Amino acid sequence: MSRLFFLCFLALSVPGFDAYSQGVVSKKRIYGIVIKGGHVIDPKNNINEVMDIATEIAPPSIKGQPVAEPKIALVAKNIDTALALQVVNAKGMYVSPGLIDIHTHVFYGHSKSDYLSNGSVAVIPDSYTFRTGVTTVVDAGGAGWKSFQTFKKNIIDISATRVLSMLNIVGEGMRGGEYEQNIGDMDSEKTAAAALENKEYVVGFKLAHFGKADWTPVERLTKAGKIADMPVMVDFGSGNQSLEELFFKYLRPGDIYTHSFCYVPGVREPIIDTETKLVKPFVRKAQQNGLIFDIGFGSGSFDYRTAIPAMKQGFYPNTLGTDLHASSINGAMKDQMNVFSVFLALRMDIPSIIKAATWTPALTIKRPELGNLSKGAVADITVISMREGDFGFKDIVGNRQEGKRRFECQLTIKGGRVVYDLNAISSKPHLQ
Amino acid sequence: MKKFPILVVVLLFLATFTNAQSKLYNTLIKGGRVIDAKNNINALMDVAIKDGKIAKVAQNIDAAQAEQVVNAKGMYVTPGLIDVHAHVFWGTQPNSYLSNGDVGVTADGFSFRSGVTTMVDCGGPGYKSFDTFKKNIIDKSQTRILAFLNIVGEGMRGGDYEQDVSDMDVNLAAKAALDNKEHVVGFKLAHFTNPDWTPVERIVAAGKLANMPVIIDFGGGKLPIEDLFFKYLRPGDIYTHVFTELERRDPIVDLQTRQLRPFVIPAQKRGIIFDVGFGGGSFNFNQAIPAIKAGFLPDLMGTDLHTGSMNGSMKDQLNVLSIHLAMGMNLQSVIERSTWRPAQAIKRTELGHLSEGAIADIVVLSLRQGKFGFRDIAMNRQEGTQKLECEMTIKGGKIMYDLNAIASPIAK
Repeated sequence: MSRLFFLCFLALSVPGFDAYSQGVVSKKRIYGIVIKGGHVIDPKNNINEVMDIATEIAPPSIKGQPVAEPKIALVAKNIDTALALQVVNAKGMYVSPGLIDIHTHVFYGHSKSDYLSNGSVAVIPDSYTFRTGVTTVVDAGGAGWKSFQTFKKNIIDISATRVLSMLNIVGEGMRGGEYEQNIGDMDSEKTAAAALENKEYVVGFKLAHFGKADWTPVERLTKAGKIADMPVMVDFGSGNQSLEELFFKYLRPGDIYTHSFCYVPGVREPIIDTETKLVKPFVRKAQQNGLIFDIGFGSGSFDYRTAIPAMKQGFYPNTLGTDLHASSINGAMKDQMNVFSVFLALRMDIPSIIKAATWTPALTIKRPELGNLSKGAVADITVISMREGDFGFKDIVGNRQEGKRRFECQLTIKGGRVVYDLNAISSKPHLQ
Repeated sequence: MKKFPILVVVLLFLATFTNAQSKLYNTLIKGGRVIDAKNNINALMDVAIKDGKIAKVAQNIDAAQAEQVVNAKGMYVTPGLIDVHAHVFWGTQPNSYLSNGDVGVTADGFSFRSGVTTMVDCGGPGYKSFDTFKKNIIDKSQTRILAFLNIVGEGMRGGDYEQDVSDMDVNLAAKAALDNKEHVVGFKLAHFTNPDWTPVERIVAAGKLANMPVIIDFGGGKLPIEDLFFKYLRPGDIYTHVFTELERRDPIVDLQTRQLRPFVIPAQKRGIIFDVGFGGGSFNFNQAIPAIKAGFLPDLMGTDLHTGSMNGSMKDQLNVLSIHLAMGMNLQSVIERSTWRPAQAIKRTELGHLSEGAIADIVVLSLRQGKFGFRDIAMNRQEGTQKLECEMTIKGGKIMYDLNAIASPIAK
């Protein structure tokens, strides 16, 4: 009798002992999280089928901060949930690597110039990432070499999201107005030096908003890219210069052309011919050569007049950057899942969509430990469901596209921890 | 014969042009079910907007009379939601918590997509920091931002700042509130941990001086809430985090018997207003479910939005409403508690309703059917079959958010 009491006591007090009470031989829990029954899409490893995923057990955190990031332990059919501290039921859902948004503006602050460099047009990353499946954001040119330390202290160090940076070629960063027209502040050497000193966070360089027909800024940018051996991203401003020249004379394979689907002829050359609506042959050639075409949707850069003909002709963007900032969050763009859904409505297939926000951006920013579910990769995982219904999607000039499906982020895991769970599909974790 | 069609085209063009100029309404929301608690409306109605105001609420308003039509068929149309408990005083000042610190969030990132048009910052600034709050937050936000001024002069800076009774200056707090009456709607006390009634006395004194309500987060002093409700607070004052179950706070549901304590409903009848204030640590099904079963409904659906709640169980205003639907409250009831009741509680009766002539803050919601799950802050789970989704948010007549592009022509 007392023995039974003791067993009951054990069953109640020892985590994981519930298996005994059900007459099952208890196993040592060797995984942190097992995601069960989802349709895994892992473009790097060519996986596109129902699989389970297990993560390593997270080491205890100190003051709420993880000391090390657990990795992907196993992707296989039928992983035993009894081996996991926590189980996620992903039946009927897609499971992908944690999404990487290669084009965001998260250098928020209240400084005087107040644009995208320590300004309030930038947004707080954690408010927009996990709920839409994103685990890594690249700030696209908020900080310059002069402001990177502030960016690190105010943003990178306190964000739960993994925040990386493309340094602006302008030393002052993306402060708007005259700051970004100042060629005298575009120092290739200093910018490259700051990037190399902060290699852990800096993944490339950005040029944006330049308003004159002058190649000097592009030259300064690519020079920094060569010195640091990092890619550059170009927002081609409003100088109405030749795209072909940019792609073939200045940019290297692996460099990024953003706002690919904008439509502002006379201000910036579109990728399609305005008469024939055909994708210009040199644009396809540039993509084949390895130039990365990013969407950078934003509040002024995604236009169906370019997007629909381009997609119909099979010209897909390489990356689905959102250009997240205060003016795009409530407009046509909204968030990463909405951008996914827009491309689904334009008949991009799901694996290609996932790839454009996981493995392709990971390779582009040279972070191959991200954006995939190989054993040993960082345990960043996103669970996404597909809604069926009548949906509508607009572009930045107010044209509408119907859609029958919409992506919804169900759960996000960053560094082996559940950081968002829309419908409580994860179990209460067992204590280690 | 050849000229005739051109003439027709020209005439048609002119007609269209003149027509657009002379339309009665800017925007017409057509075919939705209107829930307007103040006016006792819960029926299929159209809502017309002109010059930022509600122009007409009636059945079958002619779509031809509006420049822009919103197709709200199958959806609910309500006044813009008012979140009385948000923390939006974000900033980069070190060690500043919810007062110009990194735990506050940007209002516009959470408001419109969740149907909220008005947010009340719940004690971020004190009288010393209100000007910074106005410059950095109120003036820069598209959301209508109001404030409960913290009784602590330094505001909600966390730690010892909020324990400093000597920084709770009744006169200076009341003066700052009255000087900024356009934005300040009351006072907040929070996080005080000693068993000492002085802070409560100070805040109520400020409330009396300014003739404004106070909202209490009842710290950790384990003082009896019955005394708070009957001896200290006035009718119209607000008790927040009503469904918390924390060691350090006196709960509304008895921990042994799991019954609603007998004085709670009488306190509500006395006029004490109860706010949910969900947050990162203040909503437990173990309190909420028995309380609601016993007939106690919270008066206000405040979110307690901040970085510690936005990605957790709370998420956003519509998730909080949906949780209350899952616990058995009805739609009319949760809408009323996030529109007309909060408007009354903060004495902003120009908000929270759809009377003709009112500010055109309007939300279009859809009610999704399916299998949903909700969590409290202790990781307990509750199933639900309904979930609210924000389709469109209009503030002052302007479309701020349009999830599925249901306006025609589309707002850019």
